[in-house]
Amino acid sequence: MTNNEVVINAAESVVEQPEKKAPIGIFTWICVGWLAINVLVAVLAPLLPIPDPNEMISMPGMGMSFDHLMGTDDLGRDIFGRLAWGSRISLGVGIGSMAIAFGVGGPLGMLAAYRRGKMDVIMSSVMFTFLAFPSIIAIIAVLSFWTPRSLGKIIIVIGISSIPLVYRVMRAAALSAGSKEYVTAARVQGARDRRIIFRELLPNVAPTGLSFLLFGVATVIALEGVLAFLGLSIAPDIAPSWGNMINDARQSLNNVPQNWPLIIFPSAILCLFILALNFVGDRLRSYFDVTEVKL
Amino acid sequence: MSEANNKVVLSVKDLEVTFRKGRQRVSAVAGISFDLYEGETLGLVGESGCGKSTTGRALMQIVPSTGGQIFVDGDELTSLNKDEARNLRRKMQMIFQDPISSLNPRRRVKDIVAEPLDCWKLAKGAERDSIVSDLLNKVGIDPAVYGNRYARQFSGGQCQRISIARSLAMRPRLLICDEVVSALDVSIQAQILNLLEDLKKEYGLTMLFIAHDLAVVKNISDRVAVMYLGKLCEIGPSDTLYAKPAHPYTEFLLGAALEADPELEQSSATLGGEPPSPLNPPSGCRFRTRCPFATEKCAAEEPQLRDIGEGHQVACHFPLVGAHQ
Amino acid sequence: MSQEINSTNQNPAGDLLVVENLTTTFQTARGALPAVGGVSFRLGANEILGVVGESGSGKTVLSRTIMGLQPRTNVEVGGSVLLDGHQIVGATDEDLRDIWGTKVAMIFQDPMTSLNPVTKIGKQIGESLQVRLGMNKAEAKARVIELLTLVGIPSPEERYDAYPTQLSGGMRQRVMIAIALACNPTLLLADEPTTGLDVTIQAQILNLLDELQLKMKMSVILVTHDLGVVATRTDRIIVMYAGRIVEMGTTKEVFRNHKMPYTRALLESTPRVSNPSHTRLQTIPGRPPNLLKLTEGCAFAPRCSRATEKCSQERPTLEPTGVDGHYFACWNPLEDQAAPVSIQTGTIKEIGEDNVRG
Ligand SMILES: Nc1ncnc2c1ncn2[C@@H]1O[C@H](COP(=O)(O)OP(=O)(O)O)[C@@H](O)[C@H]1O
Ligand SMILES: Nc1ncnc2c1ncn2[C@@H]1O[C@H](COP(=O)(O)OP(=O)(O)O)[C@@H](O)[C@H]1O
Ligand code: SF4
Ligand code: SF4
Ligand SMILES: [Mg+2]
Ligand SMILES: [Mg+2]
Repeated sequence: MTNNEVVINAAESVVEQPEKKAPIGIFTWICVGWLAINVLVAVLAPLLPIPDPNEMISMPGMGMSFDHLMGTDDLGRDIFGRLAWGSRISLGVGIGSMAIAFGVGGPLGMLAAYRRGKMDVIMSSVMFTFLAFPSIIAIIAVLSFWTPRSLGKIIIVIGISSIPLVYRVMRAAALSAGSKEYVTAARVQGARDRRIIFRELLPNVAPTGLSFLLFGVATVIALEGVLAFLGLSIAPDIAPSWGNMINDARQSLNNVPQNWPLIIFPSAILCLFILALNFVGDRLRSYFDVTEVKL
Repeated sequence: MSEANNKVVLSVKDLEVTFRKGRQRVSAVAGISFDLYEGETLGLVGESGCGKSTTGRALMQIVPSTGGQIFVDGDELTSLNKDEARNLRRKMQMIFQDPISSLNPRRRVKDIVAEPLDCWKLAKGAERDSIVSDLLNKVGIDPAVYGNRYARQFSGGQCQRISIARSLAMRPRLLICDEVVSALDVSIQAQILNLLEDLKKEYGLTMLFIAHDLAVVKNISDRVAVMYLGKLCEIGPSDTLYAKPAHPYTEFLLGAALEADPELEQSSATLGGEPPSPLNPPSGCRFRTRCPFATEKCAAEEPQLRDIGEGHQVACHFPLVGAHQ
Repeated sequence: MSQEINSTNQNPAGDLLVVENLTTTFQTARGALPAVGGVSFRLGANEILGVVGESGSGKTVLSRTIMGLQPRTNVEVGGSVLLDGHQIVGATDEDLRDIWGTKVAMIFQDPMTSLNPVTKIGKQIGESLQVRLGMNKAEAKARVIELLTLVGIPSPEERYDAYPTQLSGGMRQRVMIAIALACNPTLLLADEPTTGLDVTIQAQILNLLDELQLKMKMSVILVTHDLGVVATRTDRIIVMYAGRIVEMGTTKEVFRNHKMPYTRALLESTPRVSNPSHTRLQTIPGRPPNLLKLTEGCAFAPRCSRATEKCSQERPTLEPTGVDGHYFACWNPLEDQAAPVSIQTGTIKEIGEDNVRG
């Protein structure tokens, strides 16, 4: 070899600092742990020794005790049991509807961004027209007529109404990744469309997608709370969602003001869960952001 | 230089690329013709926006050409269907200006270099690894230490080396380099230029070297073509063309190039004005709005590229040098 | 610590700018980053000083620090910058506002980022005239048109109402120059003013700067990575490496009789129009050091072919050669002269301004 002088030597050392990212941080891990506990409880609720949410197992309005970790409500039902079972509904709505939204909006957005041209114009005009319409009104309208409301129906309605938003985010992410020279370079190597979408685009839009997914779940869980407040979520006696519990508590608190755990616990859990989701989502985004680590 | 022989690898005939901008048409490349002989390096210079990159991209069919023909080893590229064209393009490779964005930041170096092998299913397993290691060694990157690193961990010069390794994986006949050293510091730029010279010899490459920097182009090219507003002004052996430019534009371009020497007299003749918009190019000679020698003939009649001897061609009604003896 | 650098007697009127042991250190997540690590120099009135170095050598940080433009958080500036008697290091925003425009002005590499895209250029230039010089609207407009003419913008009355996006890169840089010169500064800092412009436009802008420097009797600091730009346009040059001055002197001395191996290496790795094609370029192995991990020794040592034991242990200080304010920082200075570049290219050298159309 003639160009010995260019063989990387100690002085040139490619990466003097091999990608030292800011550490993930203990707080993020706490949030992740908290999210994991919630998900586990929701998934494993039937197997765990969790009190039945609808059974009046004890005196109403009991304080916290070993038997009833968070006390009982005004009908003598175990609050912890109701919260744990309720997480199945709340998380189900959040994750289920986002699965629909990402399952449809994600691929469409990426395809539109990659292909551009007519396909993009047509899909984007449809999607952006829907985006212009306030989706909360559509959701309320559909849910007030489509009765009886079940978990599945709520997931479908929220999921479909979120498709345009996910489409827009994923399309924007893929557009920016797709305009990079490495996509052109891959084409020059002879890579076909599918390979480019999976090898070049997907890894670069995945972090954006993942963090947006977490924000989406958080938003939908909060939205379900709002729907419950309006009496538009699943009827509380089938299974209580967190939102339903807060709504119930608000009404019963008027009668029994000292029964504060009834409103404190569901609100706190809901808040903490959403906060943790948002925080982890944000941290993920910066963790995977390649440009932020580059010196 | 003597390495070039008379076998034509790439022949471009009246290549045209027109972009549509709403109702308007940008005539980015307006009918250019040239041949590339086996083993030579042809430099393509001109100011930004004159259509250099578009020419390179049209040759690779990254942007569709709207007119003319491209012959690669005698096969016409633009008339082929998608799959045939993809096959023929295996003989050609391109390296881009921005070294960092040319590499996917989320892929490992050895996968990036192996990309063409994977696309064409040419090698697998140990064979693939050994080809990749060999290529990385050739460009001066230790595969054992850096092969598993992500592209984002490298500096501009190193990214450009990786791009070069990738482009050589298919053993191309023709390498198109689009401003490959423009984003690099001089000391790194010299490393890459030397590397390209060495690899060109080793792999018997034919190169189209696109750049705006006259000194860089002179350094690496056997012949140089000068472009202005989508047209070729002049083409010829680099030493002749730089010593005796025949087109007024080349003359001004050379006069404006700054030599790193305080005692060298700089040309006092600077070119005024700016290139007109390709949306609405001047009639006749496209340089006439800035040319001090322009006459009515220049506005009325488009000068064609014509031979003035010694392989030197110029498109000007009133060239600065007559026919070479 | 601070070393006294005596300026030569090129500027009997006294020094316009005296920079002493200037340091600019950024506090980053990975530690202190000394972007400028102890720089001292003087600049006389009407002098054109070039600052060259590869990217990351601290040229931009140096010029912004001289201008007093560093943000107040995460940056530590030490040493002193005396501009015509005004101390810039540690000056309050109010002090700086008095100096900016009238004493010192700056033009940047990318004019688009420093021009407001939604304001007409006439208004942007006129603003400082009205605020700083207390002109009324009509006076300001007249002066703006005068300035636009001065910087060579064709049909200035029409361009007065243009937005920055409607102008080409070269025209925008002319507008930036007009803004910088609006209040007659005594020092103009030009940070890579022609990088990214085409050669013919670069030549126009550099000629314009030359012309204006004479006309307005100002000093200019021309910052660039391009040795070609400083070669014929400056009186003196400073070569920077890793945040420090490694060589300084009259342009001719530095190009011909440089002592520092880095200066030589930089010159030899620059491709030249006058060299025959396929001239093998000298290369500098490796790349510039990581400023977070600077050692005690000479920052160039890992790449230097003349490096000795001493080089990696002790940092060389700027020493005079005895010639005409020429200083260098090296333990093993070069002894020989650099070979002159020969061969002229081209044939028309005598086209006058008048047969070149605008
Ligand atoms: N994809 C495109 N769409 C529209 N116009 C384009 C496109 N690519 C290039 N152009 C235009 O074509 C002309 C030539 O561009 P380019 O080939 O990039 O020039 P160069 O590489 O010489 O700087 C320019 O006027 C540019 O604006
Ligand atoms: N705001 C900042 N924060 C941290 N580091 C900086 C900042 N600005 C510049 N630097 C660093 O200072 C060094 C010198 O930069 P700069 O002056 O821009 O170099 P040049 O202009 O010579 O290319 C570089 O290593 C750069 O990363
Ligand atoms: S043809 Fe006429 S206008 Fe064009 S370059 Fe020649 S002399 Fe100038
Ligand atoms: S001090 Fe030593 S390492 Fe530094 S430039 Fe001089 S010889 Fe080279
Ligand atoms: Mg280009
Ligand atoms: Mg800079």
